[in-house]
Amino acid sequence: MEMLTNTYSNCILQKQALASGVRASVAFLLLFLLTSISQVSVAQSLLVGKTGTIQSVKKAIQLAQPHDTIYISQGTYLESDIIINKPLTLIGRHNPVIDGQFTGEIITIQADSVVVEGLVLQNVKVSAIKDYAAIRISRSKHCILRNNQIRNAFFGIYLEKADSCQVQNNRIHSQSTMESTSGNAIHVWYCNTMLIEDNQVSGHRDGIYFEFVSNSRIINNISTKNLRYGLHFMFSDNNVYRSNRFINNGAGVAVMYSKHITMVENTFQNNWGASAYGILLKDITDSRIEKNTFLQNTVGIHAEGTNRTIIQHNEFRQNGWALRMMGSCEELRFERNNFIANTFEVASSNNYTSNNTFNGNYWSSYTGYDLDRDGTGDVPHKPVKLFSYLIEDVPTAMVLIRSLFIDLLELAERVAPVLTPATIQDDGPSMRLNHW
Amino acid sequence: MITPLKIYVGLTSILLLIACQSGPEPIAYGSDNCHHCKMTISDNRYGSELVTQKGKVYKFDSIECMAQYLDENEAGASAKTLLATDYKNPGQFIEVSKAIFLQSEQMPSPMGMFLTAFSDQETASQFAAEKSGNLLTWEATQKLCASHGNAH
Repeated sequence: MEMLTNTYSNCILQKQALASGVRASVAFLLLFLLTSISQVSVAQSLLVGKTGTIQSVKKAIQLAQPHDTIYISQGTYLESDIIINKPLTLIGRHNPVIDGQFTGEIITIQADSVVVEGLVLQNVKVSAIKDYAAIRISRSKHCILRNNQIRNAFFGIYLEKADSCQVQNNRIHSQSTMESTSGNAIHVWYCNTMLIEDNQVSGHRDGIYFEFVSNSRIINNISTKNLRYGLHFMFSDNNVYRSNRFINNGAGVAVMYSKHITMVENTFQNNWGASAYGILLKDITDSRIEKNTFLQNTVGIHAEGTNRTIIQHNEFRQNGWALRMMGSCEELRFERNNFIANTFEVASSNNYTSNNTFNGNYWSSYTGYDLDRDGTGDVPHKPVKLFSYLIEDVPTAMVLIRSLFIDLLELAERVAPVLTPATIQDDGPSMRLNHW
Repeated sequence: MITPLKIYVGLTSILLLIACQSGPEPIAYGSDNCHHCKMTISDNRYGSELVTQKGKVYKFDSIECMAQYLDENEAGASAKTLLATDYKNPGQFIEVSKAIFLQSEQMPSPMGMFLTAFSDQETASQFAAEKSGNLLTWEATQKLCASHGNAH
């Protein structure tokens, strides 16, 4: 009996000990959780509205803690010089409008990890002294600008000394008429690892402008009706632009003083004018131009000082000149491109002997034959016409383009080549369109 | 006796003389191209111009393009007039010998060398202080651009 009670009381004691242990650990856990939560502090969300307690974006930013989210409801907010100097997320609901009333810049981001989404920004001041923008990211990392609409801006989105930011799916439209009073839609300066994707830009000086930018990607944008260039690269190495469309700009794309640029699957269309090109290449090395379409441009590709670059699988259709190579172009390889219905296929400024090669291209003006039926023409194709050679020296001779006299000259030149450069010829022209 | 013929000859000769006058031409911003980099000249605070002895006019979109062109083409010998734009008066040319040049990281110019020209010392000094830049003569600017051009 004693033994029983003993064991029983022992049991009770053990139970009590166990229970108190559990209680202690639960209490400790709770305490731990509470303290850790208080340390993290839950991100709040604030609401800006025309009828709510917070009626301006500036006020909301002032009240917000780092990592808070600010929702902006529908309405028009007359604000400019909004400075975001802590990591915040701004989200517009039902396209709220922030109107800068041409007073200055609208939003300036000076902190990392800021997200601006779903806003309509309009009316940015034009100035000869300061480059005012609808949104500027200055010296910050990991920011995202998404789904915004920007209207009547001097500069649309301006990124300076920023790193690893994304600019996605924005619509930036202006109606500029003078190059000197308009800025660029997306202006990127001294940045690294940027992604510019799915944007539509029009009516600015340059659609997208890269200066001193590296390791960045420009994907699937549509750049139209810009006064100068659809896309403009300067001193920017190791970049890719793919699947973009450049239509009706002063000129399509200018790539200058840059190395290792990959240009793939873009469309260059309707860039007409005295100095209009699909692509202007100046001082470019070690690059790739592949699977692009050049349709109805004054000049498809204008190259100066371009070296060690491969141009393959592109389609040149209905351009004034498909290619112009001006001075000091070395080691360019033109392979398996399609040249269809261009007024002039290749023009070159001087009869230099360079080591540029043409091989396996389809030329719609090819008059040779393929007796051995191997798909490759049996005689080389010379894409430089005598006439294109003449008008390089005497541009006004263009009026003779369809004349009998010129046709006779061309015929004579074909039979006994004297003037056209022997170095520019395709030894194995394709009889059929190339496919890729 | 003034005959229609005389009037005609007189007028034609005046016209011819005017046509032969060589001198600086205003830059048509937005349509003229830079002779060196082939870009459309669009910023009217930076346009530059070279007029040769024979009266040929070359236009540039920036001070650095003109300087690099002079360096690379030995056109300096045949240059009669070299002009830059006064930053404070967009579209107004000044002779480079009379201009003061500023290089400041805070004032980007069209071709990446941060060069701006001013017509008077006072304004230039003010900008140099404000934008923490260096003031340069034309000769120093040319040297700077030449070394920069060779680096590319």
